[in-house]
Amino acid sequence: MALRETHGPFEGTMSIVYHCLGCGYSMAMLTNRMETQMVRSLGVKIGGQTRAASPMEMLRSNLQGKREEIPAPGQAGAASKCPFTGVVVEAFNSGSMQWTDEAKARIERIPEFVRPMVQRSAEDYARQHGHDLVDGAVMDAMRGQAGRQDSGGH
Amino acid sequence: MKTYHDIAADGGSDVIGQVAEQMARLQDRLAQVDHVVAVMSGKGGVGKSTVTAVLSEALTALEYRIGVVDADINGPSMARMTGVRRHTPIPDGGGMQPAVSATGVKVMSMDLFLPQDATAVLWHAPTQNHAYTWRPMVEMAALRELIADTAWGTLDIMLADLPPGSDRLPNLADLVPDLSGAVVVTGPTAVSQMVVARSITAATQVADVPLIGIVENMATYRCPSCGHQERFLAPASGGESLGEAHGIPFLGRIPFDPRLALAADDGEPFLARHADSPAGHAIMALAARIQHYLYQ
Repeated sequence: MALRETHGPFEGTMSIVYHCLGCGYSMAMLTNRMETQMVRSLGVKIGGQTRAASPMEMLRSNLQGKREEIPAPGQAGAASKCPFTGVVVEAFNSGSMQWTDEAKARIERIPEFVRPMVQRSAEDYARQHGHDLVDGAVMDAMRGQAGRQDSGGH
Repeated sequence: MKTYHDIAADGGSDVIGQVAEQMARLQDRLAQVDHVVAVMSGKGGVGKSTVTAVLSEALTALEYRIGVVDADINGPSMARMTGVRRHTPIPDGGGMQPAVSATGVKVMSMDLFLPQDATAVLWHAPTQNHAYTWRPMVEMAALRELIADTAWGTLDIMLADLPPGSDRLPNLADLVPDLSGAVVVTGPTAVSQMVVARSITAATQVADVPLIGIVENMATYRCPSCGHQERFLAPASGGESLGEAHGIPFLGRIPFDPRLALAADDGEPFLARHADSPAGHAIMALAARIQHYLYQ
């Protein structure tokens, strides 16, 4: 199996697609943002802890808006004992397509079960058209293209 | 091909091992603390934090080495009440350095990590949607770190100021199974006592934590002009009857004294100025009863 593509992360979810080099069979692995966040909430490191934890590492790493004088703890130290974990960590650290507040609000209004698919489509569309940001115009254009594709099929 | 069920353990994260290491760190830290005492109520607004602040001062006056952990993650107030808000915790000597009050009490609180009065305690997450699923776990992890990762040194007594809620003591007992006991603070009103009674039930039936006794705060009011003292807010002593109903010792009443609130607001030690007041005498008597429970 070979890694074919990753999507996201977007609001804590991501998908990783592998495919068979022999027959082309594809398999996707999905992360669940609730599960991921709950494991993080324990203050443990996904992928394993490779060094002793710093004092109050979870608190200092995860608290929003803390005092500037409080030093950040050391790097997370996630190990890649598992190749899948390595891919996930790398993808999480690599950042993702930025979304405007307007675009985020629009996608929040979409039913949850199709939201990841629409989100991936919007990001793919943006990349293909040279955008580094998903905004309302990108979503309008993507919707227009989808509408044209649908009409062409009938 | 391997399936999900063929994956050994958790794929290399060793979550169980990491959690065990966290708990070992907590135990190592608490090995330097003789007693951990929770100050609880279940009801908000009865004066738990005020009682914690003055009790820490009183126990220090009895020559004990005292630490206070502010277990109210979202509404921390102990740093202000003990006058240490300027302290910023930094890592040193294997832990974060606690603040030290004017009376020598070591204090650790979420408040010491927040830049502004109005800064809410929020946690980074990919989304805040459905945060109710994980926020309580983060709060417990934060409380564990406040206790385990503070360089308390050797303490005779650590006081844990709990937030309202009948589940708070059982949660603390999960982290600190060797709790020496809990001091239950109630107000004089029937509503206070009803809510506190539920917390007592949770403490005894779920957490199995020994209850040192009940304190009735704001029980009486003394006229500053003539010295006449009478019941305040409620006609009868509900704290005493609450103790009798649950078989818990009644530790005493603390009279209402506006100077207690002013001292807490200003972070000034109350006993240093007002030890010879009815409230001061009541607080010292409370400390002596807790001392008796822990050391006799």
